Amino acid sequence: MHTILASRRFRRAAIQAAFVGFILLVLVGLVVTTQQNIVAQGIATGFGFLERTTGWPINFSVIEVSARSTYARIILAGLLNTMLVGFLTLFFASVLGIILALLRVSRNTLLRLVGTTYVEVFRNIPVVLQVFFWYAVLTHLPGPKEAHSLAGVAMLSNRGIVLPSFTFVENGLVYLALGVVAAGLWLWFTRNRISRAVRLGVGLGGVAALFVGLVVLGYEPGAPILSLPYLKGLRIAGGVTLKPEMTALVIGLVLFGAAYIGEIIRGGLIAVDRGKLEAGRALGLSSFQINRLILVPLALRASLPSLTNQYVWLMKATTVGLAVGYPDYFAVISTSINQSGQTLELLALLMGGFIVLNYSIAFVMNAINDRIKIKGRS
Amino acid sequence: MTNSLIKLVGAAAIALSSGGVASAQDANLLDTIKERDSLLCTGHNGSYLGFAEVDAEGAWQGFDIEFCKALATAILGSPDKLQVIPVSFAQRFPALQSGDVDVIIKVTGWTQSRDTDLGLQFSRPYFIGPFYTMAKTELGAQSIADLDGGVFCVNAGTTVERVLADYMEVNDVSYEPLAFEKGEELRAAFYNGRCDAIAGFGPFLSATRVNAPDPEAFTILGDVMKLEPEGIVVRQGQDDFLDVINWMVSALLMAEEAGITQANVDDMKANPPSPTIERLLGVSPGVGERMGLSDDWAYNVIKTVGNYGEIYDRTIGDGSRYKLPRGLNNLWNNGGILYPLVLD
Repeated sequence: MHTILASRRFRRAAIQAAFVGFILLVLVGLVVTTQQNIVAQGIATGFGFLERTTGWPINFSVIEVSARSTYARIILAGLLNTMLVGFLTLFFASVLGIILALLRVSRNTLLRLVGTTYVEVFRNIPVVLQVFFWYAVLTHLPGPKEAHSLAGVAMLSNRGIVLPSFTFVENGLVYLALGVVAAGLWLWFTRNRISRAVRLGVGLGGVAALFVGLVVLGYEPGAPILSLPYLKGLRIAGGVTLKPEMTALVIGLVLFGAAYIGEIIRGGLIAVDRGKLEAGRALGLSSFQINRLILVPLALRASLPSLTNQYVWLMKATTVGLAVGYPDYFAVISTSINQSGQTLELLALLMGGFIVLNYSIAFVMNAINDRIKIKGRS
Repeated sequence: MTNSLIKLVGAAAIALSSGGVASAQDANLLDTIKERDSLLCTGHNGSYLGFAEVDAEGAWQGFDIEFCKALATAILGSPDKLQVIPVSFAQRFPALQSGDVDVIIKVTGWTQSRDTDLGLQFSRPYFIGPFYTMAKTELGAQSIADLDGGVFCVNAGTTVERVLADYMEVNDVSYEPLAFEKGEELRAAFYNGRCDAIAGFGPFLSATRVNAPDPEAFTILGDVMKLEPEGIVVRQGQDDFLDVINWMVSALLMAEEAGITQANVDDMKANPPSPTIERLLGVSPGVGERMGLSDDWAYNVIKTVGNYGEIYDRTIGDGSRYKLPRGLNNLWNNGGILYPLVLD
């Protein structure tokens, strides 16, 4: 006995095991106590309610939902809405962020000034205020009857921006998005094996074929292939509507997020050792080659960890959509809590959903980081 | 080292097992309220116009608040013993379940899932809420069918979302719903023209209209989408407390039926016109004792807040700025559907 206790390894393992056991005991205790109290109050528990129909619809979703949909489906629609806004935001904020970073490191004083002013203005106003501002701007446009028509193909009113659209089969946009992702994966995994022309041909051709297929399958005799917006009663029919709720949310988040992303990328650009660029020049590389082979990879490596942070943060910031009536994951869960009363279960779903979503982003970003970081350094 | 760990784990286990029982499930809430000498009733986070609002002096006013006062008076003898706890619509059920409030009086619709899944118990309806639609006057709509294809704004997480979905499907009207979490944002969107109409509880629509920059710009349409009976809510198993609530509502209606008002209640008590009134006002004993209250509880309530009609008139009816017609919330002999229970 004494010899075992005298072993430092055993003592350490025992202490760690006891600590983990203690934490587990507290957690189990919490769950059991909560469960007892809930049962004592006669409140229904469990996830059975997910199978029930909601009886209330939501304003916007990428998949088909109605008042007859189940809670599970409407919650999924909310999650997809969050992902839609989130990924649109990440993409546009990154593009704008890169432009801002280039402005900020430019040798031209005027360009630098523009970049600096932008960053200072948009970084220092709370994001929810910016979203409110854009929402107010968009809802103060004229009503559908007095809508601004842009060359007869698009219409701008307080009901949103209506663009011409193709008539797809049901959930066509979801299939199209999946197709684009699949094409991207194809291009990535075949990058060293097949010639570039073949890869591009297969990838782009596949997406184009899918697009045509979706249009053909969704074609109804008599309906135009390209649907143009027109006024019908109180609303604008035809085309595809970018609703003010979503537009305001995306604009607000992009403008806000870009200010941060721009600064992170600027940091990365500045961090690149001047000597390495000069070495490239000494080797006779063109300035395009220097940018592509030296500056961008090194700047990316320096900025990626903070960029991951910022991406995860932006994804969580989509929850301000609740304020302007955009039915994102948070808003849908919040309404479900009110309607079904299953508070704990729904909050667990809310947290679980965001953990999965943000962990996926972090996972991808970390995988990229692992590939490009200097080997041997963490 | 190992010893102290064992002690720690043991202490935690004891703390957890004993802490689990200390919930709000007291055997008799009525006794607890009397011991505490105050009643915890729901208010609102902000103002739900007409029903629970804070006036210029910072005091709570409104139809629901009057019922809270009446209940506090019935049990504790004075409206000053009422403690109003501000909660949002979403918070009201968790607040009741956790014991932060004793009772919910907050225009709460009696629905099956609330009655069963949430472990709540409803009183007899004390208010009948009709759901209407209010549209922009410039649209010239006479009925909801004229708003085909329009955008309807609603409060997120309320029964209105369901009522609207049902009504539109049955009547084959297409619409686009838009739900807002907060009343302020809902009103702003409606005033801006983001929505063609808002659907909601009649009194809420009247209040929204009265508060609009230009009330004439909005019209409440005649179609009643649905009626919702509103009950007072307690936790499941509070039977004695629920008895008091039901008879408190009944006493207010009986007083109106018999013409007893805040002003003449003393005369009535001195010369009761009938044996029933004699019992109600506690001249002959029994009315309070069987519920564990004093025999003059109904007298105190009427003396403090008046009868049902007086409360209605003062808070949301003709005596208030909302001018909501009594409609169905009248006594059965005046064209309404409210009635007192039998006092024997």
